[in-house]
Amino acid sequence: MTGDIYYMFLAVEYFAADCIHSMRRHDTKDPETASYERLVFRNASDYHYMKISLIFEGGNIRLNAAHFKQLIISSLRELYGEIGAALPFDVLKFEENTLSAVLRVYSSALVRLWSALTLLGGYQGQPCGVRVVQVTPFLLALSGNSRELKLD
Amino acid sequence: MVRFKSRYLLCEVSFADPRSRQCLEERAIFSAVRDAIARAHGDYGAACCAVSFAVKYLNAYTGILLLRCRKEHYRLLWSALPFIIHLESRGQRQPCRISSIHVGGTIRTCQRFLIRYNRQQLLRMLPGCQSEEERASVHRAVLSCSLKQLEEEGGSRDEDSD
Repeated sequence: MTGDIYYMFLAVEYFAADCIHSMRRHDTKDPETASYERLVFRNASDYHYMKISLIFEGGNIRLNAAHFKQLIISSLRELYGEIGAALPFDVLKFEENTLSAVLRVYSSALVRLWSALTLLGGYQGQPCGVRVVQVTPFLLALSGNSRELKLD
Repeated sequence: MVRFKSRYLLCEVSFADPRSRQCLEERAIFSAVRDAIARAHGDYGAACCAVSFAVKYLNAYTGILLLRCRKEHYRLLWSALPFIIHLESRGQRQPCRISSIHVGGTIRTCQRFLIRYNRQQLLRMLPGCQSEEERASVHRAVLSCSLKQLEEEGGSRDEDSD
């Protein structure tokens, strides 16, 4: 989690385009000193990234990325209807061997996607579940995970 | 104090075939709207809107419909209304269209809006009158549109005739 806060400070300094509230302070006594700009973000990022893995009870289930996305859309359709099934999300990465994926979704739609993943029942009659490994507003944070950290 | 606030959607039902307006039933509308919400918004939407959903008023002659739902979820109901393409009544399917004309917080505000709306519709009908009697009757109907008169009559819920 500390990784996220570090990157959030980086974002505050570098991403000036998305500022929602900015304060300017002008030093009137000494006009030669530089005035600084303080940017405050209510929202960390437009997108949220989720690293998830699909878990089947047993048997060899082969999925490709298209089937995987179709599975998530069908779960969204069951829970949130046709309008929910049109939720724009992307499967950035899908590994067929481990059945793990990285999804990207708008921050306002994160709760809906996560709840649909929670209530995912099965695929073609086989019961399955989704384990959410990591959720972060910054893609860089997915590269490291403190749970898999090895300290020598 | 905690109070359950609701939103009342005033809608107008229009049919492709004008004669089928006579067979408008509350049960048909209720099931059609509930199925449309379930299709458009899934289990979540169906559960949200089913809590306090009711067809409060239906006028078969003018096709005016008043639906009630909770204040937090009235947008789900509102957005599901365009997806209704037919109503089933007595085993017949009639293609129809439901368009909402007003959203109010109470039945009384919807009633006030409806009286003004009806007066505008009557005035719009006036140039299309064929004979003097029709014109005179439309004049009388327009003049008799008023909420004060209804309140004097003891607060009856009937709206003005078409």
